[in-house]
Amino acid sequence: MKRKFDHSAPAQRELTGPKYWRSLDELADTPGFREHLAREFPEGAAGMDGVDRRQFMRLMAASFALGGLGLAGCRRPEKHILPYGKSVEYIVPGLPLYFATAMPFRKSAIPLVAETHQGRPTKVEGNPSYLPHGGASSLLAQASVLDLYDPERATAHTSGAKTLDVVAVNDLLAKIHKTYAGNGEGLAFLADESASPTRARLVAKLKKEFPRAIWAEYEPVQDEPPVAAAQAAFGQNVKPLYRFAAAKRIVSLDADFFHAEAGSLYYAREFAKGRRVTKATDPMNRLYVVESGFSLTGSMADHRLRLASNHMLAFTAALANKVLGTDTFAPLAQGLDFPNKDKWIAECAADLEHHKGESLVVAGAHQPVQVHVLAYAINAKLGNLGKTLDFVAVEPSAASTVSALAAAIKGGSVKTLLILNGNPAYNAPADLEFGASLKSVPEVIRFGYYHDETSALAGTHLAATHYLESWGDARTVDGTIVPVQPMIMPLFNGLSEVELLARVAGEETPDAYAQVFATISKLASGDSKKAFEKFLHDGLLAGSAYKAVSVAFDPARSGAAFAKVPTFVPLSLENLEVLFATDHKMDDGRFANNGWLQECPDPMTKIAWDNAILVSPRLAKELGIVPGGSLLQVARKEEAEFTQGKENAHVYEVLLNGRTVRGPVHIQPGLANYTIVLPLGYGRKASGHIGTGTGFSAYAVRTADAQGFATGAKLVKTGERMKLANTQEHWSMEGRDIVREANLDEFAKNPAFVDGIGMESHTPPVLGADKDKSPAFIASTTPRGNSLYETPNLDGLHQWGMSIDLNTCIGCNACIVACQAENNIPIVGKEQVLRGREMQWIRLDRYYSDGQADAEAFGAEGNKLLPEDPQVSMQPMTCQHCELAPCETVCPVNATVHDDEGINVMAYNRCIGTRYCANNCPYKVRRFNFFDFNKRATDSLYMGPLGKQSDMPELVKMVKNPDVTIRMRGVMEKCTYCVQRVQQAKIAQKRKAGASGDVLIPDGTIKTACQQVCPVEAIVFGNVKDEHSAVSKLKAQDRDYAVLGYLNVRPRTTYLGKLRNPNPAMPDYSALPLSRVEYNQKNGHAEHGAAHGHEAEKHAPEHGGHN
Amino acid sequence: MSKIFPKSANALPLQILIFLGILGGVATAGISYYATPAYLRVGYQPVQPVPFDHSLHAGQLGIDCRYCHAGVEKSATSSVPAAQTCMNCHSTIKTQSPLLEVVRQSYQTGDPVPWVKIHSNPDYVYFNHSVHVARGVSCVECHGKVNEMKVVHQDKPHSMSWCLDCHRDPASRLRDPKDVFNLDSKTLADQGKLADAKKFVHDWKVNPPTSCSGCHR
Repeated sequence: MKRKFDHSAPAQRELTGPKYWRSLDELADTPGFREHLAREFPEGAAGMDGVDRRQFMRLMAASFALGGLGLAGCRRPEKHILPYGKSVEYIVPGLPLYFATAMPFRKSAIPLVAETHQGRPTKVEGNPSYLPHGGASSLLAQASVLDLYDPERATAHTSGAKTLDVVAVNDLLAKIHKTYAGNGEGLAFLADESASPTRARLVAKLKKEFPRAIWAEYEPVQDEPPVAAAQAAFGQNVKPLYRFAAAKRIVSLDADFFHAEAGSLYYAREFAKGRRVTKATDPMNRLYVVESGFSLTGSMADHRLRLASNHMLAFTAALANKVLGTDTFAPLAQGLDFPNKDKWIAECAADLEHHKGESLVVAGAHQPVQVHVLAYAINAKLGNLGKTLDFVAVEPSAASTVSALAAAIKGGSVKTLLILNGNPAYNAPADLEFGASLKSVPEVIRFGYYHDETSALAGTHLAATHYLESWGDARTVDGTIVPVQPMIMPLFNGLSEVELLARVAGEETPDAYAQVFATISKLASGDSKKAFEKFLHDGLLAGSAYKAVSVAFDPARSGAAFAKVPTFVPLSLENLEVLFATDHKMDDGRFANNGWLQECPDPMTKIAWDNAILVSPRLAKELGIVPGGSLLQVARKEEAEFTQGKENAHVYEVLLNGRTVRGPVHIQPGLANYTIVLPLGYGRKASGHIGTGTGFSAYAVRTADAQGFATGAKLVKTGERMKLANTQEHWSMEGRDIVREANLDEFAKNPAFVDGIGMESHTPPVLGADKDKSPAFIASTTPRGNSLYETPNLDGLHQWGMSIDLNTCIGCNACIVACQAENNIPIVGKEQVLRGREMQWIRLDRYYSDGQADAEAFGAEGNKLLPEDPQVSMQPMTCQHCELAPCETVCPVNATVHDDEGINVMAYNRCIGTRYCANNCPYKVRRFNFFDFNKRATDSLYMGPLGKQSDMPELVKMVKNPDVTIRMRGVMEKCTYCVQRVQQAKIAQKRKAGASGDVLIPDGTIKTACQQVCPVEAIVFGNVKDEHSAVSKLKAQDRDYAVLGYLNVRPRTTYLGKLRNPNPAMPDYSALPLSRVEYNQKNGHAEHGAAHGHEAEKHAPEHGGHN
Repeated sequence: MSKIFPKSANALPLQILIFLGILGGVATAGISYYATPAYLRVGYQPVQPVPFDHSLHAGQLGIDCRYCHAGVEKSATSSVPAAQTCMNCHSTIKTQSPLLEVVRQSYQTGDPVPWVKIHSNPDYVYFNHSVHVARGVSCVECHGKVNEMKVVHQDKPHSMSWCLDCHRDPASRLRDPKDVFNLDSKTLADQGKLADAKKFVHDWKVNPPTSCSGCHR
């Protein structure tokens, strides 16, 4: 079936897609600006004509559409029901379908299940059949759906100003095949990394067809340990797979395995298995992190050492000396200096040695080969090989490098260059001047999803398909082959990479489906058709993982790796180290035009819509950025540079080897003193309206020989200021009990430590006579807690509740965007975030504590200064669904009330926007639609009736979840516990029950969007009335507590206290978590109960100077 | 001092009050009658692109509702049939009928037949057909006796209070499950078996939502 639409050519303005999230200004109406646009997007986005739309609509199947223009009387508009002409297999209007697919991502794809509504993919979830991920997915996977419907993606194949149709493209590719057949001299390819078996097969064929052609691969971000290191250590082409679940002691050497390393999803999940504690006797892993930046991994550390990336080799050498009991590596450790150095290393090594075979040392992928070799040596000595560290055989890459390709281009030997994906003009090493060199290549053909910086320099641009509209295959981090299955026909006649390569290679059936089928039928056993069907159905090819090989460390052989070692550089204000960090959201820049990601705050800095030069508090002081007070403090007497989410940052210039880049400086506690962090992926010059002009491009100062980090940088003051949209200006809990923490040994002695913290421990029991009753009883009985208000009976069959484990939450932000995708949450743009009007229903609070916050936090010396060595506590905060909800009692129109199953519901249609509820919410989790964010472009929000009244482009609307109401201006909204999923599950259960009373939903049927995406399973939702449900069991744990519980609002979402597992022998050991030290300081040495910290408070890790 | 107002003016306030009272009453009565779905919607009978006769197909020929409205037991929408469904029979019966030209066109080209929507809920209402028919609520309850309609019209107001009437008192509207698609059947209550219906409500745990979240998400 198709929707009947007006197929006449859309207006010019619509074609260039100006009305996406942030539209062009009114200039778009002037002919001059349109001309400028035509120059900027010469591929002629105007190619999205009626034919394309019609083709796409054929696949679409929506049941209802507005119609009958002008014919309806004044009684009501005439609506139409538009059924299919011919029924489509499997589609029942109103029911979603689910298909297995995968998001290819460098060499470690993420297996997914895509939800489609009448042929329109709206949401992806992790594929539960792939056990290492267990149904989880990542922040980037969640957001990738939005890219599919980006009106600013390349919508046509173009050559110069000319639009190419499919036939012309095929001819072009056939011509390349013919011209270079048999030789390939002058032909070159530059592609991104891929783990697609089909692509590997086609590349092999290309090499056979064009033996002299150059096949180069370039990834701006290195996320796998160098194979050269494994080669040196073991003499085999292997890559490590870490088994974090089996590791009790973990040392990370600049490795952010929660985010930046390949397989981070699997690793985070495995790490959480070793971290999860259900009872006082459970063991828990211990994490040592040595790093220069402040990564998510570092935020989970039990012991964290700030050390420049350049000094990591020295540290590793010192650690290796201790563990191996030699002096061999002493020269490498020369110059290493930090407070309590010897004790730190000795005790860390001793702890590892106590856990032989269950410890693990992980080195960051961007670290030099020597660090990896030493890490392997340590692991080998500790007997970890084959236990916590497996090795799998991988094919060594036969691809050439971008540097070699650049040299060939300079040498003039490249006649035709095909650039497949990537964006080298933007992100190739600056010293290669890759973009400029493209001018000397006679024929440059760019294949890419966006018309970006590289496309602008290429004569021909071929529009790539999104992974949700193309056939392909990929491998996960452990090598399991997964299908990339299309959910929809290419919206704009895009070409898939497989088909492009097949055509250039001269395959007889270049069709991508046929190519993938051929690959899989070769790999799978049995009937190839059946095997392929099973492959597509399961979403993976069973038994296709890389083969594990046993390895033995070869000391003699590995010595060769140390023939030439990177030099140790002492750092100072005049000689800074620059760390190029993979951004949490933009990755390497590929997601720059994704509004969900741009608006999602960085997990550590909490900056949205920009990146910043991150500097340590000490460096900031030396630069003179912190005059009287602290940048991150608000509501202080001293100069506060924060107002309402506006961070007034100083703009500095980074000077590195003669190259410069300007950016705002953000002071990030916890950085190595003289390391500055430049997040990659921003500063795009030719992205869409979302991506262009956000942040600065760190690639401008990044050279081929120093991809991970570089030394010799300087910061030069410009005197300018810039506003950053920071969603959490306040970093300290100020000794309050928001996040309750304990060390593992305290937990073992006093499992219910959370009860000893907070106001509840000082007040009479808020639950009155019901205090000791079961959660199920409390949840469903009235009166609740001696309340004066008459409260509704919560007498529903189910009583919904949620438990969030702060001990495993890594703060990765995936829940924020998963929620945004599920619940149709709009984005509001930087300007509105600056006003604190962000709409995400989940807020991930990040607190620093250094043990210094004192009783007089306001004004006293105590925490005036930013902590240099803070501990981090993360806390996802969203509507707590209070049983005695303060928001409900103040609503004048009963728009927010409780349903009988304990959900605090919002009836959007009743809401008149008084915002009383938001004012009365103690958790500050309600969000108000200040504008018609779903209707208006973000730059015409303030134009009132003068603004464009038109809706969002059809394409943007397609990402919306049809099961959730789109909210309009003036309406309050907030977390609903994914009430649509709850209702659908109830309906499904009742349908199943039919004429029986079997209407109770089995535990585990409903997963909220945040729960489903969570890589570490920190969020559990379910029926608290059922004592055997997973959520009830978690709530029955000793660590369970309610945030602001003393208010007697009786939140249905409760938290499990956070645990830390520090080593008492370590020099930076603190007997209490630093937030507890602050808590005790604020509240005086409490005399209520043992939990109030009578223990020695040895805190304050020395704020020593090290560089 | 001469009188400015005649004596009759003393009655004026009362008269004004009475007038306002009557005006208010009339306005209230008018609005509550004319501005509710019961007046505005019931009886809506638009002209359809194909003069499909339910009384012939469902009544005379006895075709089950679900033959055409196939999604009703699975999905939120009962789904209007594809042209293909019509052509199952009409490729052999009345193959040349000019009335069916639109359907044949749709079948051949894939362009949908633009049926005019009669029962229309607002976008913020999430009604689900499948759960109602699975739990003993017949089509008749909301759509009336479609099997007797030559041209379908809206029979019930479909207002929120009308929904709640039933949600608050399900026993009076339930049918025996086998009668759900029998449009000529009676509710258990009408058959005088209210006690049975109440037992069903209890045994099946029929507990229709009366909270906002039941329909608004």
